[in-house]
Amino acid sequence: MSDRRIPFDRLRLKPAGTVALALLLCLPPFYLDAFWLRIGLFSLAAAIGAVGLSLLAGTAGQLSLGHAFFLAVGAYGYTALAGEPGPGLPPALAVVLAVLLAGAAGGLFSPVAARVRGIYLGVATLALVFLGHHLLLTADSVTGGFNGRSVPPLTLGGFAFAEDGRELVVLGVPFGAEERLWYLGLALFGITCFTARGLLRSRPGRALAALRDSETAAAVMGVDVARHRSAAFVVSSMYAGLAGVLLALAFRRVVPDYFSLALSVDYLAMIVIGGLGSVAGATAGAVFVTALPLLMTRYADQLPLVATPGSGDGAVGPTEAARYLYGAAIVLILLYAPDGLHGLARRVRGRLPGRHSPGSPSREPAGPPPSPSSPAARPKEHTP
Amino acid sequence: MNAPELRAEDVTVRFAGLTALDEVSFTVAPGSAHALIGPNGAGKSTCFNVLSGLYRPATGSVRLGETELTRLAPHRIAALGVARTFQNIVTTEGTVADNLMLGRHVLTRAGFTASALHLPRARREQREHLARVREIAELTGLAAHFDTPVALLSYGDRKRVELARALCLEPRVLLLDEPVAGMNAAERARTAGVIRDVRAELGLSVVLVEHDMGLVMRLADEVTVLDFGRAIAHGSPDDVRRDPEVLRAYLGTATTQEGAA
Repeated sequence: MSDRRIPFDRLRLKPAGTVALALLLCLPPFYLDAFWLRIGLFSLAAAIGAVGLSLLAGTAGQLSLGHAFFLAVGAYGYTALAGEPGPGLPPALAVVLAVLLAGAAGGLFSPVAARVRGIYLGVATLALVFLGHHLLLTADSVTGGFNGRSVPPLTLGGFAFAEDGRELVVLGVPFGAEERLWYLGLALFGITCFTARGLLRSRPGRALAALRDSETAAAVMGVDVARHRSAAFVVSSMYAGLAGVLLALAFRRVVPDYFSLALSVDYLAMIVIGGLGSVAGATAGAVFVTALPLLMTRYADQLPLVATPGSGDGAVGPTEAARYLYGAAIVLILLYAPDGLHGLARRVRGRLPGRHSPGSPSREPAGPPPSPSSPAARPKEHTP
Repeated sequence: MNAPELRAEDVTVRFAGLTALDEVSFTVAPGSAHALIGPNGAGKSTCFNVLSGLYRPATGSVRLGETELTRLAPHRIAALGVARTFQNIVTTEGTVADNLMLGRHVLTRAGFTASALHLPRARREQREHLARVREIAELTGLAAHFDTPVALLSYGDRKRVELARALCLEPRVLLLDEPVAGMNAAERARTAGVIRDVRAELGLSVVLVEHDMGLVMRLADEVTVLDFGRAIAHGSPDDVRRDPEVLRAYLGTATTQEGAA
């Protein structure tokens, strides 16, 4: 029990590692077809949303079942602001405004968030999902009602992140919508990681973690409890809004039924599977929960006990099978690795030979000054 | 000495029918060490909760210098330089450094936007304060554990993390709720030494709730004795030790035992 989860993200990539990883993530459009890119794109969007929820539920300790609502605000906000009928704003501006809109929605909810704790907050946020769903169905003029709306493509300086009739070929590979959106998703995910790590490793992140562990102690240490509880909601909702925009662009159509309670639960599953309160964990969980059903649908015919979609012979369909699988994953993780995939990875890393040897160059901080989030296992260099 | 006077006047706290504090008054002279002692349930921790703003008294006032504290939220009181520790350890998950940096919250400015964008001023601020936090860790004997998760530390070390975290506020008044409870003799001596050192070095006032009379006698300049929510004696440790009221409260006599039962 003693070495359970640690609030700040410890997966420290050195700058070179980050660059290498970023370059690696730029490669898929050249080697993978649209199906895989779509899985990747949905995973990236989910990861952005999961980082937001992880900040709220994992770091600040506020249970939210309303994440789907804030995703919907982002997705519909972008669609309504950039599309017809609507103000028809430049899509890039609409993205920014949609994110701010989601943040504002979180801010509007924060009087509730500042007063209600734990499971009661979960129930209160549940109301948001139902309210949101109702609004999406009834406010036809903005949301398109039951059938939803088609999402205007994002264009940046004349470059469209969609098929725009003009052939774009990069290094012999034709770049369609998926290829272009992949890079957009990657950029947005990069922004998410950068900002979330900045938050987690500095003053606001420490204040939020203190709130989670004891509001009394946090208040006595000078943390404005109500303000930080609200701020956690606003920030988390902004990430959800950004994820919503990316999802809308990837789906090309937004429909109310997607933003249901099940989606909120999926996001909770992501952060539990990945490990609460860490960027890397939220990402791993998001990829797992998003990719699994899509992969199982694709390979249903080769999997035992899983029916091919549409065969209707009473067996378990791939989507249900995926849900069983990740349900089982949650139970296993709660039982055997309560700190999630991220914690598991950290412990495995810690046990690898060579990691503990003092002076191991891979562990030495490269360049940046020592920060409070140095890895726990690092040998101390005590300077008197 | 920069510590202002802390003066509690006629503080009364009631919980439903129970009067936890009954018109308690005492004054902590600038730069002094003031002990609150008394049997269990006497109202010592309630008194601390009033001083740090967690409880609002029904009547009475608490003044730090000229500032009235009873109407301020806890985080505002912290910003005025009143830091405290808790009877049972309340630390945050994470390393000793993370916990101590939390103590710098009121002294630092970096907000959500500046931190999210890694703005240079936020990073510089963090770097500068980390240097000071390291010094405080050394002062309190935690330097060797600076990057260790708090959960892995011994009980005595975790208690000391709380003390160090309170010191990281650069407090003018330090409230210590049973700082050596549950420690062994060596740890007690070490913590007492730390408290004495920081007083000498930082010139702050210390208010101490403690059951360990040896520690109280060694550290305190003045003692207030609480019993059933009332302040029954004030004075120097030696005076208080000889006070018949105090002896009765601690040891009991035939008449008061009946009254208490």
